[in-house]
Amino acid sequence: MNLFKKLTIAILLLITIISCESDSNQEPYLGSYANGIFVLNEGPFNNGTGTLSYIGVSNVMTHNIYQKANGEELGNIAQSMYLHDDKAYIVINNSHKVIVANRYTMEKIAVIEGTNINNPRYFVAVGNTGYISNWGDASNATDDFIAVIDLNTNTVTSTISVGEGPEDMLVNNDTIYINLQGGYGQNNKLEVLNTDSNTVTSSLTIGDVPNSILKDSNGAIWVLCGGKPSWTGSETNGKLIKIENNAVTNTLDFGTGKHPQHLTISNNDLYYNLDGKVYKMAISINELNTDGITGFDGYYYSMKANDNFLYTTNAGDFSSEGTLKVFDLSTNTEAYSKTTGIIPGNIIFQ
Amino acid sequence: MKRFFKMRYNIVFFFITIFAYSQNDTIHLLEEVKLHGNFSPKINAGYHLQIIKDSAIQNNNQSLGSILQNKANIYFKQNGNGMVSSISLRGSGASHTGVYWNGIAINSSLNGQTDFNTLSANGFNQIEIKKGAGSTLFGSGAIGGAINLRDQIYFIQKKEFGLQIGLASYNSQDISFKSELSTAKIYSKFSIQGMQSENNYPYLKTDLSNENAAYKNYHIKGVLGYKLNYNNQIQLFITYSNNDRELSRTLTAPNNSKYKNSDQRILVQWKNYGNKHNSSLKLAYLQEIYNYFPNKNNTLFSEGSSDNYIVKYDFNYFFTKRWNIHSGLENNYTKGNGTNILKKERNRTEIYLLTHQNPIKKLNYNISIRKGFSNTYNIPFIYAIDLKLKILPKLNIKANYSTNYKLPTFNDLYWNFSGNENLVAENNKSAEVGLDYHTKNTNINITSYRIQSDNLIQWRPVSSSLWRPINIQSVTSYGLEFELNTVKKINNHKFHLQTQYAYTVSKDDVLRKQLIYVPYHKANASIQYNYKKWTLNFNQQYNGKVFTTTSNTQEVDNFWLSNIQINKNFLKKKINIGFIVNNLFNKAYQTVAYRPMPNRNFKLKINIKI
Repeated sequence: MNLFKKLTIAILLLITIISCESDSNQEPYLGSYANGIFVLNEGPFNNGTGTLSYIGVSNVMTHNIYQKANGEELGNIAQSMYLHDDKAYIVINNSHKVIVANRYTMEKIAVIEGTNINNPRYFVAVGNTGYISNWGDASNATDDFIAVIDLNTNTVTSTISVGEGPEDMLVNNDTIYINLQGGYGQNNKLEVLNTDSNTVTSSLTIGDVPNSILKDSNGAIWVLCGGKPSWTGSETNGKLIKIENNAVTNTLDFGTGKHPQHLTISNNDLYYNLDGKVYKMAISINELNTDGITGFDGYYYSMKANDNFLYTTNAGDFSSEGTLKVFDLSTNTEAYSKTTGIIPGNIIFQ
Repeated sequence: MKRFFKMRYNIVFFFITIFAYSQNDTIHLLEEVKLHGNFSPKINAGYHLQIIKDSAIQNNNQSLGSILQNKANIYFKQNGNGMVSSISLRGSGASHTGVYWNGIAINSSLNGQTDFNTLSANGFNQIEIKKGAGSTLFGSGAIGGAINLRDQIYFIQKKEFGLQIGLASYNSQDISFKSELSTAKIYSKFSIQGMQSENNYPYLKTDLSNENAAYKNYHIKGVLGYKLNYNNQIQLFITYSNNDRELSRTLTAPNNSKYKNSDQRILVQWKNYGNKHNSSLKLAYLQEIYNYFPNKNNTLFSEGSSDNYIVKYDFNYFFTKRWNIHSGLENNYTKGNGTNILKKERNRTEIYLLTHQNPIKKLNYNISIRKGFSNTYNIPFIYAIDLKLKILPKLNIKANYSTNYKLPTFNDLYWNFSGNENLVAENNKSAEVGLDYHTKNTNINITSYRIQSDNLIQWRPVSSSLWRPINIQSVTSYGLEFELNTVKKINNHKFHLQTQYAYTVSKDDVLRKQLIYVPYHKANASIQYNYKKWTLNFNQQYNGKVFTTTSNTQEVDNFWLSNIQINKNFLKKKINIGFIVNNLFNKAYQTVAYRPMPNRNFKLKINIKI
């Protein structure tokens, strides 16, 4: 009994100390999800819902956080998520909608939907304007578009016609680069959109099937093109494209049968996934690395670097939970791994 | 000869008494003597057979899937009402139940499956169900079981016309007409059926409804028989069916796609009966065509088709009263074509031999073997043994052991750039033991089984953008089936109780988890009460929960489903009017996750027979 009392007091004290500390040292409480990593799980393809998982500072994984906050499900095929100001924009492909939620609490604020949201893929924002890439009717190659959103009203104000299969986008000041991956087909363009005029100002022909895009610390844009896969019957090589001042300044060819994916950057090193290995390449060097990083092997469903860690997901058999594996880039060792939801397709850092 | 037929008659009658669900079809039994198809009880002595007679088929006035669900306790996975409905027998996959039309295999050559919402039960004389594996007799894919839809030909004086009209909830209508004309020499049957539905039922507990789910279909059937003489008959069977369906939304996503398909089947059969043998020669042509419209408002579509040419010869020879052989030769030539598959053809020839012996009165057994040859893949040699042993006057033991296979489908082999031409046949070993107790009014059956399947074909991701079919999965299944049927008559009151229960475990050998969409428990009870011109049917189903992830972490809830039906005869049974309430207690339920099934709904039907 005595011991129990002592323990209780000790615990109470501890709690007081901890809470005092957090009160004094941290910003005001924003929400349960203010300081961690999100994994957006697409969910089963045919019928079902995507889910959102969250890893907090103590590396504890919480699943279904959107559902927990709102009592409703995200929808079918949670494709991507973008954080802007204090909001999260979650693109639900097959439900043809974009959910606007508080990025710290995940409480729903609005839903952007209607006839001008059709097979939405990715979202980016510049100031008070959002841009959503849409495939349109999946069987129609000519109705793809970017929906322009007024972020105050969360409504579509206009649409901008683009080539087939607009996918991931990158904001660079008043320019948005749009990867035309090709939808159900294959495309090989990068379209450049000016956010002042909301018009496509140019279209660069790059490699086939551009699948990821980023900007390095020198302001250069890098686009990784997977190349056409063999099953198309007209296989092409994967390519890494460097763009400066809206022009292609370098093209690195991966060679026959090579289809790299998931370009990401940490410090001044690029990382990508190819044939079950993770490769690293300094942005200053003009040559592809021939050896993958030992211990990083895997065919990843998504991969993103952040703060000297590399986050990878594996979708397993696509009919059950996937896994998230995190590597420490300073030591090139595995840091930890977690079970995700079904088909973890997107990693987002708060 | 006569005596021999009498003996067969007795055996057939014996089985019919045990398994038949209706009581008023004894007239037909005379002709059953000549039934020598692969579903004949004699050569399936060690298996559990069930026959659903035409009175039960018509009385139900439901889709084939619903009848099998209600009467045979078979589990179906439906993508919403009227949408694709696939079967799972004894924990096996949708392509592991053989479906036959007058003895000809009709599972799709493209995906190996049968969509039970595109088959109409209307106009068939009986549905024969064999649970358990039987590839030696039935060929590829008969692993969970085999189901045959039979048109029977009777050479008796008959002239009958029937008209059936049904009106149901969700703006559903159906109409069918049937004529049956026969003499001692010629038989003819013709039927046509059409149905359509808005199918826009509300999703209970939500604001949504079953959008984009309308369907319409029609089925035409013709059967002709000509008796050349006592020993020879020529028969012709033709069916054409056409289905036009929108593909419904789910709880989380809308849909605007549409699917059209048609099936055409022609079969010519020559039957020959001799003193010590009988035989049948079948020539069949089967064609399936589908069109998928990703957007129904758009003209773009993908398509696929297959043409199947089948020659099948079956021969029975009776050495003695207690020993006969049953053998067959089948050649199957298939051409496939479509947007997504390579234009290919394949041919296979299979032979089988079965010997039936009845060495002592109490024992019947069969041994069978099968071997096939193909230009596409190696078809394994398989064998089976089954027996029935009478241990007490009313109690039989039934047992069987078999090896079986399922051949890769056209999609598996030739899907554009991802099909795998190196696939081999899936193979399977299966054993079961059952007890069968029967009295005049009651029969009870308990069967337990174990199935080991290897080299199962699965589509798996082999790279980031490519999925391919590979022979990879091994599955162990075991389970228990229980059945009790009893009839009770008190003066003018007739009661018929049927109950069935199935316990099914089907686990992936690597994951050691139950396969998705295989319920551990499925049960069914129905009671039919007849009083003079009135019939009341109450059916109660239980579907256990099913897992939707291979890790068994997510599931579709179990559900109880009740249906009730009341019928009355008028004018000496010339008119029958029935009223049906489905989902009597208005339960929200799903068989596939996120695809709600209908709420309480009603149907009025009128049958006129002249």
